[in-house]
Amino acid sequence: MAEISETMGTELSPSEENRKVNSETSIFDHKTMRKTKPGLKRLTLTLTVLFSFLLGLPWLLKSVEIYRSPLPFRDIDSLSNEIDSNPFLYPCKFHVVVVNLDHSTPVKSNAENLGFLVTNHMSRFADANSCGTCENNYTVSVTLDSGNNCVQHQDADSSTAWRCGAITDFNYDQTLKNEEDFDDYLESVLGRNRVYTVVVVNTNEGDDNRIRSVVGKYRHAWIVCKVSDMNLLTEKIAEIFIKIFVNGLKEQESIQGEFIPAGADGKIVLSFNLLNANPRDWIYDWDFKEVDEKLLAPTLKALSPIANISVESQVLYHTPKSSYSYWDAEHESHVFSTKDLPFFVNSNEWHLDTSIAAGGRSKILQFVVYIPSANECPLRLQLPNGEISVTNGFISPTWGGVVVLNPPNCWENENGIHPLRRKVSPQELNQIFEVFMGQLRQLFGLKSTGFYKGTSGTSVLLSSQRGFTEWELDVLARQHACYNLRQCGATLGSLSRLVQSLPRMIIKDEIGKQVKFSLEAAKLAQSNASQGIYDASAVNSRHARSLAEDAFFHPSVMSVSYYSFEHNFAVYSPFFLPLSLHVILAVVREMKRYKQGSRKYNAWRAVTNQNSD
Amino acid sequence: MARFVHSIFVLLLVFVCYVVSESTSDAVEQLDGEEFSEELLFRALPDRKVLSHFHFESRVPPTSSYGHHHRLFPKAIYQLVHKYRIREMELSFTQGRWNYESWGGFDPVASTNAKPPGVELWAVFDVPSDQVDASWKNLTHTLSGLFCASINFLESSTTYSSPDWSFKSLSSNLRYGSLPREAVCTENLTPWLKLLPCRDKSGISSLMDRPSIYRGFYHSQRLHLTSGEFNPVPSNHGIVLQQTLTVVLQPNTLETHGRKLQPNWSMSSLFGKTVDGKCSLAKSSNIYLHLEGNLVHNMKNEGDYSNFELSISPDTITKEVNPFHKQHPSILYGFSINHSSHNSKPFDLGFKWKLPVTWSCVKPPLHVTRFLMGSGNEKGAIALSLQSTELSQNLDHNQKCKLHVDVFQVVPWYIKVYYHTAKVYVNGILQSHEDTIEKLSVSPSEDKVSPGVMEMSLSLPCDLKSASLTLEFDKGFLHIDEYPPDANQGFDIPSAIISYPQFQTRMEYKQDNGSIKSPMVSKMQEKRKILSYTEVLLVPLTTPDFSMPYNVITITCTVFALYFGSLMNALRRRVGEEERLLKEKDKKIGKLPLLLSKLSAKLRGRPWDPPSSPPPSSTSKFISSKVILKIVLIAAIAFGWQYYYG
Repeated sequence: MAEISETMGTELSPSEENRKVNSETSIFDHKTMRKTKPGLKRLTLTLTVLFSFLLGLPWLLKSVEIYRSPLPFRDIDSLSNEIDSNPFLYPCKFHVVVVNLDHSTPVKSNAENLGFLVTNHMSRFADANSCGTCENNYTVSVTLDSGNNCVQHQDADSSTAWRCGAITDFNYDQTLKNEEDFDDYLESVLGRNRVYTVVVVNTNEGDDNRIRSVVGKYRHAWIVCKVSDMNLLTEKIAEIFIKIFVNGLKEQESIQGEFIPAGADGKIVLSFNLLNANPRDWIYDWDFKEVDEKLLAPTLKALSPIANISVESQVLYHTPKSSYSYWDAEHESHVFSTKDLPFFVNSNEWHLDTSIAAGGRSKILQFVVYIPSANECPLRLQLPNGEISVTNGFISPTWGGVVVLNPPNCWENENGIHPLRRKVSPQELNQIFEVFMGQLRQLFGLKSTGFYKGTSGTSVLLSSQRGFTEWELDVLARQHACYNLRQCGATLGSLSRLVQSLPRMIIKDEIGKQVKFSLEAAKLAQSNASQGIYDASAVNSRHARSLAEDAFFHPSVMSVSYYSFEHNFAVYSPFFLPLSLHVILAVVREMKRYKQGSRKYNAWRAVTNQNSD
Repeated sequence: MARFVHSIFVLLLVFVCYVVSESTSDAVEQLDGEEFSEELLFRALPDRKVLSHFHFESRVPPTSSYGHHHRLFPKAIYQLVHKYRIREMELSFTQGRWNYESWGGFDPVASTNAKPPGVELWAVFDVPSDQVDASWKNLTHTLSGLFCASINFLESSTTYSSPDWSFKSLSSNLRYGSLPREAVCTENLTPWLKLLPCRDKSGISSLMDRPSIYRGFYHSQRLHLTSGEFNPVPSNHGIVLQQTLTVVLQPNTLETHGRKLQPNWSMSSLFGKTVDGKCSLAKSSNIYLHLEGNLVHNMKNEGDYSNFELSISPDTITKEVNPFHKQHPSILYGFSINHSSHNSKPFDLGFKWKLPVTWSCVKPPLHVTRFLMGSGNEKGAIALSLQSTELSQNLDHNQKCKLHVDVFQVVPWYIKVYYHTAKVYVNGILQSHEDTIEKLSVSPSEDKVSPGVMEMSLSLPCDLKSASLTLEFDKGFLHIDEYPPDANQGFDIPSAIISYPQFQTRMEYKQDNGSIKSPMVSKMQEKRKILSYTEVLLVPLTTPDFSMPYNVITITCTVFALYFGSLMNALRRRVGEEERLLKEKDKKIGKLPLLLSKLSAKLRGRPWDPPSSPPPSSTSKFISSKVILKIVLIAAIAFGWQYYYG
C-alpha cells in the first residue's frame, strides 16, 4: 500500500510539489514520467500465484492418476515376435539299425554313407519349419549289425546304443510274422528313451520288391526286405522318420491350430451321451461305469501330459434328430447322407449342456450314441460314394462325435404298449467305444486308419491298446505345446494392445502378476522344448496359456468403469477455467503495468540525467 | 454271530439316519437304482378356482455304492451337489401371492408350496463354516446360469442372511436369500423342465401349456433337493430331487342366472391339453383329486357323495385317517396313467358339479398381514398384524394357554430398523416384552455389508382377537452407484416368515393294503411345521437427481473460483489509482456516448444539454452498454456453438 499512497501523494498534491520548484518540475510530465521505481510486490505476488499453480499441476495429475500395474510390454512383444518368427522346434534323435547287411564285413564308411543318404532324404521330405516339429539339423545315427560285429556311426552315445546282435538272438524268421510280439521285443531291446528308431532287417530270401514296413506302438518301426537298392531303402526310412514320427501323419492344414481341441485352461471334458430318440419304443441304458474304468481310463492316463481330461456321462430321452432320413429298399434301412450331417445334431432337443463340474474355459467334447426311434430304424449313414458307413458315425471338429446304434431288431416292439428296456451289450459298447476312440483320435488330428500310403509304398501302423501310440503322443505333446504357446502369445499380444489403446483403464496388480507368470511359464516351456523335455514343455505351455487367458478375461478388464477424458474435463473445468483466467489476466496486467511504470521511470531518469549533464 | 452284529449295526445306522433327518426318513428305504415318479394333484378351491400341483421326484442312490454315472438323474444337479457340497437346497420361483384366506394355509400342500413372490433360495452346505459364504456365492452364480434368472444378485452379502433357529433348526451352514422383484416366466420353466427325463415331451408334464400356466392366479415352481452324500455315516440316502409346480387356475365359469356357481372343469379346459400316456421312464405316474374335509362334510349334509361327477372312475379312493382337530376327513381319489398306445384314449379327467356346494378351507392359526406406517422420506414403521381365525378361536381358552408364533424377518441395510422400538399389542393393548417375547435374536444391519435379521418368538394368549408388532425405522441413504435403474419405484423388503411351532400338519392316508407308495402322498404324510409368508413391502426412498454430482461440482467450483478471484483482486488491484484514472477518463467523453445522449434527448423531446459536467451515472450507463454488448456477443457465440456442435 505504501507504493500507492506514495504515488497518490505525488499525484494528488501537485501544489506542494510546485512549491519546491526547481528546473526539473518544468519538464516533468506526469503522464509519461515517474520519479519512483515501479513496485515489484504485486508482480511477484501474481507471479508466485501463477507459478505455484503451475507447480501444483503435476501433483494434481498425479493425484487423479488411475492405477495401472506396469505390464512388460516389451517382453510380450518379444515373445510374440519370437513365436511368429522362430517356430517352436524340438531336438529329435533318429537312429537307423541295419541288421544282417549282406556285406560280410560291416565297414564304417558304409554306415556314414547310409546316414548321409537318410539325412539327405529327410531334408527333402521336411517341409518349411512348421510349428511343433523337429529341428532341421537332423542327427541320424546308424548302426550296422551283422550279428557279431557292430559298426556305430555318429554320436553313438549311451542312449542310442544298440546291443549288438540283439536281433540275432531272436528268432525273427518266425516271430516277424507276429508283429505285436516283435514290437514288444524291440521295445525291450531299445529301451524307453526318446529316440526314433528304424530297424531294417535284411532277409536274403524273398522278392526284391517286397518291402514290409511296420510302425510299432512305441517309438520305432521296422522294415523287412531284401536290401538291394540303398536309395529306395533310405528314402523309405526318411519318410518314416519325417512323415510319421515327426509330423504324425497330419495334413499340413490341420496342424495350423484352430482345430486342436484344448481348453483355454488346459482341461478337456469328454461328455458321453446316450440319446434315446423316442423312449416310447425302447429305452436303452448302458453300463458306463465299466466303460469308464476299463476302456477310457488307460487312454486318459496316456493323454494326461497333453490335457487334464475328465469324463462324464448322461442318458437323455426324447431327443429326435433334426435331419431327415429316407427309406432305402436296397439297404433295407433308413438312410441319411453326408449332406444331412450338419443338421443331424438337434441343438433344440439335445440338451447335452455344458458341465457345471468343469471350469468356464474348459473344452467340452461331446460324444453321442444315438438310438433311433422305431420309425427310423435301422438308421444308416450313406457315404458320398453310395456305400453304407461301417462305423455309422461322424465327427464334427472341435464339437465331438456321433455314433448311431441301431437296435438289433427294429420290428420287435411294433405292437407293444410298454417300451422295451434294454441295456447296451458289452460287445456293442466295445464297438461303440472303438469308434469313439477313432473319433477322438480324429478330433486330435490323428489318422485312424491302420496303414500309411507314402511315396515309397505302404506302411502298416500298429495301434495301441490305449488308443494312442507313444510316437503319436509325442507328436500331440509337441503340437499342443506349440499351439498353446502361440495362443499365449496371441492373447498376451492382444491384451497389451488393449491396455495400450485405453490409457485410462485400471489394471490391477493381479493382472500384472498373471502376465508375468505367464511369460515365465512360456520361457520355461521354450527352454524345456529346446532340451527335448516333451511333457514338461507341454505342461508349461498349458500353464502359460491358461494364465494369459486368466489375465485377459480378468473381471476388472471386462468392466467399463474407467474414467474418460470427458469426465475429467467436466469435473475439473468449472474450477480451473475461471481460476486460470483470473490468474493469467492478473499476471498480464501486472506485467503490462510494470513495463509501463519502468518506461516512465526511465524517461524521468533520462530527463534528470540530461539536466544534470 | 457276525451277521447278527452286522444287522444290529445296520439297524442302528437306520435309526441314526432317522434321527438325523426326520423329514427324509422315508428315503432310508433301500434304493436299488434311480427312480423317477410324476404326480399331479387337483383340488377345487372355495373361490371357484382350481389348484393343480405337479410333483416330480428323482432319486439316486449314493455315489459310494452307485457311482457317478446316471441314467435318469440330471447331470447338472448331481454336479451341483458335489461341487458345492450341498446337503439341502430349495429354490422357488413364484408369481402372484398365495391367498391364505381362501386357498387355505394349514394343509401340507399350502405350507410347503406357498412361497413369497420372486425368487427364494436357501441352502445348507456341508463345508467348514468359514467356506459357507464362498460356496453360497458360487452356488448363486451357477443357479443363475442354470435357471436363466438373476439369482446372482443374491451373491452380495447385503442380500442373504443366516437364520439361527426360526427358519429351520439345522446348522450354522444355512444361508437364506430372496429376490422379491424377480420376474418369473417361461425362460425359468424351460431349464427346470430340462431336469426331468421326459421334459414336457410326454407324461404329466406335457400338460404344461405355457400360456395357461402363466395366466394363472398363482404360479410357483420349486426345486428342492436333499443329499445324504456327505453324511459322516455312510447311508443309503443318496440325492432326492423334488420338483414341484403349483398353479392356481380359474376354469372358464358359466354364469347361471347371475349366480356364480362352482365351475366344472377338466384337464383340457384348464390347460388346453390332455395327457397321452405316462412318461415311459417314470416308475409311477398318478393323478390325484383331493377333496377337502370341509367340502366332504358339506356334501354329506346334503346327502350322498353324488354332488359331483368324475369323467373317469378313480382307481383308488382313500380317506384321511386321524384328521387334525376333529375335522372331517378329506378324500383322495387316485388315477394312474398307463403307457400310451395307438388306440388308447388320451387321459382327460373332468370334474362336474351336480349340486352346488360352498365350503371354506382350513386357514392358518393366524391371519397375518404386514404393512408400512408413517409418511415422508425420513422414517416409518413396519407393522405386523396378526388376526385370529377359526382355528385359533377353537383353541383352549384357558389362562395358561399360549400361542407361539415365530417371526423371521430380513430387512435390507438401508432400512435402519430400531429394534428397541419393538412394541407388541394384544387386542389393541400394549404389552410388556417380558410377557410376550419369549425369545429374540437380532443381528442389526451393517451399512453396505449385511442386512438386519430379526428372529422373534412371540407367545400370545390363546384367546386373542388380534395382535400386532411394530418396529420403527429410519430410511438410509444409498450411494449413487447403488440405486437400481428404476429407483423411483421403491425398494422391496422381502417377505417375513411366520411359523407356528405348536401346530404341525400332516395328512395321513391308509389303504387296505398298507400305505400308498407315492412320493407326493408320503410327502403329505410327513409332519411339517406350518409356515406362512407375509406380503412384500415396497418402501419409497429418496431418490436423488442422478446428475447431482456434476451440479454439486459445478456450484462448489464456481464458489471457489469466485472466492479465489476476489482474493486475487483484493491483493492486486490499486483502488485509488483506478479511481483517479477513471476521473481523468471522464473528462474526455467518447463520441458514442455523446451521440447516445443526444439521441435520448431527442427521443424524450427535451432540449439537449451538452454534458459539460456529466452526471456520475453516465459512467455507469457507459459501462452497462458495454456489458450489454458483451452479453450479446457471448450469446451469439453460444448460439453459434449450439448450432454447429449441439
